[in-house]
Order: sequence, then C-alpha cells, then structure tokens
Amino acid sequence: MERTLANFIQVLRNAEVRVSPAETLDAMTALELVGYSDRAFLKNSLALVLSKTVDEKEAFDTCFEQFFRFEDVRNQALEQDHGRSGEGSEEQDAEQQGEGESNGGGGSEAQTSTSGKQKKSKGGSKQKPSNNLLEAEEEEDLGAGPMAESSTALGKLLMANSRVELTVQMAQAGEAVDVREIQIFTQKGLYARRMMDVMGLGELNQEIGDLAEARAVPSRRLGQELKRRRDWLREEVRDYVERQFLLHADVSGKRLREELLRKVKLSNVEHRSFRLIQEIVYKMAKRLATMHARRKKVFKRGQLNLPRTLRHNMAYDGAIFDLHWKSVKIDRPRVFAICDVSGSVANYARFMLMFLYSLEEVMPRVRSFAFSSDLAEVTELFERNNLEDAIAKTLHDYSGGSTDYGQALQDFKRNVLDDVDNRTTIIILGDARNNYGENRQEILKEMYDRAKRVIWLNPESRHAWNVGDSVMRTYGTYCHQVEECNSLMHLERVVGNLLKLSTN
Amino acid sequence: MPDIDQITSSVAQIKAGFEEHRYICSDQIATAVYLAFHLRKPILIEGPPGVGKTELAKTTAELFSLPLIRLQCYEGLDEAKAIYEWKYGKQLLYTQVLKETLDEVLQGAKGFRESVARLHEFGDIFFSEEFLEPRPLLKALKEKDGCVLLIDEVDKSDHEFESLLLEILSDYQVSIPEIGTVKAVAEPPLVFLTSNNTREISDALKRRCLHLYIPFPDLDLEQRIIHARVPEIPPELRRQLVAFIQELRELDLKKVPAISETIDWARTLLLLHSESLDPELVRSTLNVILKFQEDIINVQGEITAITNKVKAGR
Repeated sequence: MERTLANFIQVLRNAEVRVSPAETLDAMTALELVGYSDRAFLKNSLALVLSKTVDEKEAFDTCFEQFFRFEDVRNQALEQDHGRSGEGSEEQDAEQQGEGESNGGGGSEAQTSTSGKQKKSKGGSKQKPSNNLLEAEEEEDLGAGPMAESSTALGKLLMANSRVELTVQMAQAGEAVDVREIQIFTQKGLYARRMMDVMGLGELNQEIGDLAEARAVPSRRLGQELKRRRDWLREEVRDYVERQFLLHADVSGKRLREELLRKVKLSNVEHRSFRLIQEIVYKMAKRLATMHARRKKVFKRGQLNLPRTLRHNMAYDGAIFDLHWKSVKIDRPRVFAICDVSGSVANYARFMLMFLYSLEEVMPRVRSFAFSSDLAEVTELFERNNLEDAIAKTLHDYSGGSTDYGQALQDFKRNVLDDVDNRTTIIILGDARNNYGENRQEILKEMYDRAKRVIWLNPESRHAWNVGDSVMRTYGTYCHQVEECNSLMHLERVVGNLLKLSTN
Repeated sequence: MPDIDQITSSVAQIKAGFEEHRYICSDQIATAVYLAFHLRKPILIEGPPGVGKTELAKTTAELFSLPLIRLQCYEGLDEAKAIYEWKYGKQLLYTQVLKETLDEVLQGAKGFRESVARLHEFGDIFFSEEFLEPRPLLKALKEKDGCVLLIDEVDKSDHEFESLLLEILSDYQVSIPEIGTVKAVAEPPLVFLTSNNTREISDALKRRCLHLYIPFPDLDLEQRIIHARVPEIPPELRRQLVAFIQELRELDLKKVPAISETIDWARTLLLLHSESLDPELVRSTLNVILKFQEDIINVQGEITAITNKVKAGR
C-alpha cells in the first residue's frame, strides 16, 4: 500500500508536481482514512493533499488517470468478460496487490516453475516461426463445447478469466524485469518480450503447439482459445509497458531537453521547442522572483515611527526606550526595455520580453519599447493581452523595415526621455548593426547621464562586435554594462544582477 | 446541537449537511472538509472571486455549530493585530496604582540588590495572560469547544505574515516571547484560508494545508445553487439565466460574473417579475452581472445571440 503511494508520488514528481516528504506523510494519513475502495473519493482526497496549484492539479489528474486504472479492471473482473478490447490494468492497484499477496503464493510458484523452463523457452525464437505458421493456418471450426483443462500455469490463469490475477502477474513480471528503468521508446518491444517470458510464454507456446496436434476435440478447442488469449495478453503487456514508459521515461527525457535548451543559442531553438522554452523562462523567472522577494525585508533603520513607538512604550510609563522604525521599502527597479525587433534579433527580443514580464512580481514597472526603425511603446499591449499574444503582436507590428538605431534613439528622446530618472534602468537589446546609418550616440549619452543604469545586451558573440556595420564600440561607451546575451542562462544572469543591484 | 461525529462520518453526510444550510457543493469541496476535519489540517482555498470561498468557511461553522473567528488580511497586517497585543493602558494604569504599594513590597529590603531580588519574586506580572489582548489567531486557540478560524484573503498580506502563520497552522500553537508557547485549549480550530491568487502563496504555507481549488460551477451545479439560494424563481427562467451566465464566462471579459452575481441577477429578475429572458430585459439588467463599463459595451452586441441560444437550448 505504501509502496503504491510512493510509486505514484514518484510519477507525480516526474510530472513536475512538487511533493515534499511532509506531503507524502499527509497523503498516507489521508489514505488510511479514505482507503482505496472509492476511486473518486481517493482522487479528490489525494488531489487535496498533493497538488497545490491549478497547474499541478491538472498534472495530477492526468497522472492519476494513468496510474490508478483499477476500477474498470475490477468491474471487468467481476463481469468475467471475455472482451479483449478492454484496457489493461495497472500494477499499482493496492487492493489487487492485496489480493495478489493472498494468491501471491500461487503466482510466484508459477513464476519459479516457469523460470526453470525458461531456458527451454529461450529457444522460443526457434519456436516462434512455427507458431507463426500455426497462426497463419486456417482455424478449424470446432464449435462450442467442453474444453480440456490447461496444464500450464499461465494457461490456467488465462482460462480462469481473472483479470485481477493476470494483472498481478503482469505487475510481478514487470517488477522482475525492472520495467520502470525503461528509458527510450525503442526498448518497449524488448521489455514486453522479457515480461512475457517471465510470465511463462514459452511454456504456453509449447502447450498451444501440443494441443493443436492433439486428437481430442476439447483439447484442440482449448488450444485455439489459449492462442486467442495469448495474443490478447501480448497486447496487454505491450500496453502495460507503453504506460510504464509514459509514466517513467518520457519525463527524464524532457528534463534532459530542458537542460540543453537553457544553454543553446536562442536563435537556434526550433519552433517546436518554444513552448518548452517558455516554461523554462517562467521557471527561471519564478526562481529569481522568489529569491528577490525575500530581500524586501524590513530593516531596522529609517525614520522613527512615532505613533508606534509611543504606543509600545506606554507600558514603560511613557519612558521611550523601545524604538520602532518605519520600515524601509526597497525601490524595485524601474525598467525600460528597448528591443530591436528586426529580423535577426526578433527571437531574442521575444525571450527577453517574456522574461521581464514573467518577473512581474518583483519588477512591477516594466515599460517596453520596440523598434526596427521607428520606436513605439508596447507596454499597454502587454497589459491588455496575455504574454504570448502581446509578444506575437509586437513582433508582427514592428519587425518590418531595416534597423535604424539613430531614428529609434531620436524617438526615444522625443517621447520618453523625460520619464527617465535616476532610478530607471534601461535595457537595450540589439546587435548594434546600424546599416551605416546615423548613430546619434549623443542621445544615448543623455540617457546614460540620466538613468541609473544603461545595459546593452548584444545577442551576437563578442568577436562579431565592431565588425562590418556593427557600432557596438560607439554605443558601448555610453553604457554602464555591455553584455553578450544569447542564451537563457545569460539572460538569467543579467536580470539577476539587475535585481541585486536594485536592492542596494 | 448537531452531532458533529454523525455529520462528519462520510463525505455524503457533509454534503447533505451543507445542502441543508443552502450551500450546494461539489464532491471535491465536501471531501476537503471531511479530510480537514479528520486529519486536522487547514484548508487553503483558491479560486476566482465570488465562487463561495468565504461562504464555505461560514457554512462549515454553521453546520458544526461552532463560532466563526475571522481574520481579514491586508497589507501591513502584523502580529499585533493578528495574534496578540499587550494591554498597554491596563499595564500603565496598574503601574500607577501600584506605585504606592511598591514601598510595602520593598520594606525592610536592604540595599539595591535585595530590592531587585524582591521585585523578581513577583515575576513578570505585567506580562502575564491578564494583560494579554488576544487577537483572532490567539482567540481561536483559546476557544474551549473549538471553532472555525477563517483567514480571509491571505494573499493580500505580506510575505512575512505568511511565516507568522506557519506555527499556528502546523502545530496549532503560538509563541509569545514573554509568556511562552500557547497551545490550543481543547479541540484545535478548523482553519480555512482563502486566496484570490493575486500573488503566489509560499510553498511552506501550501505544504501545511490541504489545497482546494474551487472553479466556476458547471451548469447543473450552478442551477442547484440558484435553486437553493433563490427558491422562488421559476425553473425555466433559472435554467435560462444560468445558461446565459455560463455563456458569458466563455467571453473575454475583464471580470467574468461569479456565482454571487448570478444570485444577484436571479433576485433582480425575480423582483422584475420576469418569466423568461429577452434581450431588452438582459440589456437593462446587465449592470448587475458585469462590473466594468468596457465589459458591458463588449457584451451589448452579443446579447441577442446569446439570449436566443439560451432559449433554444433546453
């Protein structure tokens, strides 16, 4: 029972639901109270204990549905149906495991007895072709009637129609071949075959082969039936492995991809990875946000808080010796982001905007501007629409035209410069390739003088600067900081520094 | 006095109990209350405004016949307002009054050292429970028969305040430096925290709570809620107005109408003696359900279409 829960929590963690050990303990106590008997009840309860955001709840739903499938299985077991279309079952059903334990003796016996003959079934490769031949044969119509008893353990199990027991067997076999270790999808076939072997496929094939040649009708009838059920079992096992793969392996793959994406150049990111990048951006931003949210502690300095001091010192007969201070609120950075959104830099602009706006919690006052030649403010666009739409719209509306930094700076001076004060940080994202146009660096100087900081982020790598029409050197003079910035890691570092500096 | 054990014996019982108190809820919600009661864990309720988060706490208090102690959170809320404060006035008054008796106490004491030693014998009388002004959290712990503690809109408070809550949420106790640790007297309170998600609640807090997300109800549930709250309304009108609201929630609005707005609207329509929805009626009462002029203007154009759709779908 605990094992089941632990497995489930592992799956949840893989699906990025953060479950702490304390919550695991809570889940266990909840489980004791709730039990496994009522599935909906169980789901509701675990959802309350384990998933703590809306996103997590969604993830939880999916995981739960995949993981706990026992209800339909049990129903089918009760109906003793013959359907082979039914969905497979899951090892993790604790009740089944309970039942599994009660008949576990039989199960493991079957396993040990078959494992002895496993060597024989290693020759299954030899046997298989003959099987295939048999399958290709026309089946003779034997009609309904009495059937002989199967002699093998697996055969008996199949004929017993007990899905529950089969499930337990399947789970045990899965355990035996460590199916949870499955990493890539090409291994699916391998694991399915190994599981079948453990369950005693070789023996069963042998029996089916024997029965087909048997003289008595009931025996042959049994042979046909067994064959049908064996094929069904094969499907089931395959499904089972597939599910295990989805639950356990897919995610570590994702993690690997994320790790890579953090380092890769943003312009090289394929379109299909955008979604994932976005997630990473959110995650990184979130981390920065929480890191810096803690920084706004109340410091014991600043102005004397007179009313509070008086009130608290009343107890000391009005003698003031317990002083209270007005807490100092730390100024959050006021960020002006100016993004070049012309073709070459557009992708970087997308991610920087995403990053800045994801940091809303600690940087509530971001104003953003986009230009390729003319500069325009897009702040309102971001306030009105959700992030993705706003970014898409910005890129669409402003990315045409050739880059003209001089014009953009001039526009900035005319419209915005008055708002720049000594608490403002200006971040400019661009490659400083001005098409040999007018530089107007004197405007940048003016910005440099007024603002707290001017940071230039250049997505090109350093050795490409000042080559060709790049005027990075000219502009760089009037920046407090010039950084190469072309991966999420760079971006995180820059924004992290920004927040750190702003708290001083 | 209802039998709490009986009510909390199963989720279905709780649900039925709520329904008697005209609070119609989903299984999820009833399960949350069930678990919170049996595991003695606080519930953190999140969801859009107006889906009955606060109402849940109130109804639970009613259902269990427990007193409800409510702490409304806001920016700047600190322990002096949430947990306890010293009764400064009383302390001051007593010092003044006792000044005279001081001589008696110190009579016969030789030297400074002995005097101080004598004073020490009286301990920290001025910082004892008599001089303590309990605020909601402490009050909840001192409630003899248990109570329902509602910490409303916890997201409005500061980060620091969240940390203050941790102790009471996990161990049902608060530490007062001058006195020591105050534990819950008898039954620990049943704690509800609500949040409108204006900011992310810290993980530490979330870890200590059951997390309940209340979404907007589906058509069926909302109809039942309206039935419970405004029983006089004719069934056909009820169906139409709920369907209309459900349609509105699909649109891009600044503030989508919540259950409370549906209830208000139902009452309004009842007052106007309407039998069914028509575009004119909707137009004139739209300000009951939509709270932004922009939204109202946006919806104006759609009214006829939605009304017809709602009327047709039965």
